[in-house]
Amino acid sequence: MRRVTPDTIAVVDLAVCDRCGLCLPLCPPEAIHLELNVLTVDRAACTGCEKCVGPCPVGALAMVAYA
Amino acid sequence: MPDVDVLVVGAGPAGAVAAWHAKQAAPGLDVVLLERDRAVGSPVRCAEGVGDAGLREFANPDGADWAARKITRVIFQAPDDTEVVVAERGVGWILDRTRFDAYLAAEAAAAGAHVLVGAEATGMSRNDNERWDVRVKERGQDTSYRARVVIGADGVETMVGRWAGLDTRVPARDMESCAQYVLQGIECDPDAIYLQFSEAIAPGGYAWIFPKAVGVANVGLGLVALKTDGRNARQYLDAWVDRRFPTAARTGYTVGGVIVHTTIKKTYADGVMIAGDAAHMINPLSGGGIANAMKAGRLAGQTAAAAICAGDTSERRLAAYHHAWMELLGEDHLKYYRIKQALESVDDAFFNKLARTVNKIPREKRSIGRIFTHALIRHPQLIPVAARFFV
Repeated sequence: MRRVTPDTIAVVDLAVCDRCGLCLPLCPPEAIHLELNVLTVDRAACTGCEKCVGPCPVGALAMVAYA
Repeated sequence: MPDVDVLVVGAGPAGAVAAWHAKQAAPGLDVVLLERDRAVGSPVRCAEGVGDAGLREFANPDGADWAARKITRVIFQAPDDTEVVVAERGVGWILDRTRFDAYLAAEAAAAGAHVLVGAEATGMSRNDNERWDVRVKERGQDTSYRARVVIGADGVETMVGRWAGLDTRVPARDMESCAQYVLQGIECDPDAIYLQFSEAIAPGGYAWIFPKAVGVANVGLGLVALKTDGRNARQYLDAWVDRRFPTAARTGYTVGGVIVHTTIKKTYADGVMIAGDAAHMINPLSGGGIANAMKAGRLAGQTAAAAICAGDTSERRLAAYHHAWMELLGEDHLKYYRIKQALESVDDAFFNKLARTVNKIPREKRSIGRIFTHALIRHPQLIPVAARFFV
């Protein structure tokens, strides 16, 4: 199945992120990873659904244009 | 590659108790307990409250250095700050999780389990010999552990479940976003926990004050992001603390997620069991997870030991763990979840009125059950879901 490229995708501000891991189970395509104390959003897997953004307790996730 | 019988990922309450009880049930097994962080019990991502009865199944809090405060009262606060004091005996404890988690890990070690700190599992795959090969980063070195049974006790992130092909995702409405300060120099009853319910303060959740010593408390809140005005949990907390404790010293803060869902549909796979927060084994009404995690860890440890001794670690055998958990607490959580959903329909005006009504009951006659009865009289739509379980 061919994936449709989303208009926006989630990015994390690592200066704000507290590494709590709350966003990982919220991500439907499981595109967020936390390894060796670094949170990453897999650009290729993020569908731009924004489900991770609001619940972040410190506002470390935001949507940016996919480019 | 080290070959072990049971590899437990995560040394919180679920993992430590799983390692402890696996080793206790079958002392001949090799049991390894991995902790990602440099110290078991740190950083604390918890309000540290636990019920007395559940705790005592695993550890005696009387005089223990890991028990910060004994709690004998619950004080509910309405949105307008009206207080309802509920006096009960031996309600529970506020723990010092840095010490408590270390205590449980020490129990696991005393039983013969190997505890490894600074060791992060980064992935795993099933090999041809019906074992899991688990990749581990340990002080910068890549190692692998071969295990007959992997117990995933890795908290809200729940990566072991994901690697085993289990669905551990959470709908946004069932995720509480939490923020908490440690406040010093505050005035509150040091023998009571305070719970405040208000759409304006903590929409979809509640705010809490859990004392750790006289004048010192964990002060935090949990909310559901879908119900907020766009501010995040930390911003809601700042607003509440500014109003309630403007002069207190904020000597620490933490944030995190509490999954107020029900147990994942399948907590097991071939050679894998998931326990505690990772399997969404949290009371969805209270958000409490410590005792649940320890009970699930005990079941998982015992099931792993028995399965290995019987030479069968297939998912058919490990399904016994899931069924035992559902019978012990999982079914109750389904009921609490329905009550949580019903409570979502009540508003701040209701809680304010309820607090005034309940305060007319003499304090010695007040109990959680009686308060709930009054809530039901005012809000009959709660009756069908609640009556059977609370009153």
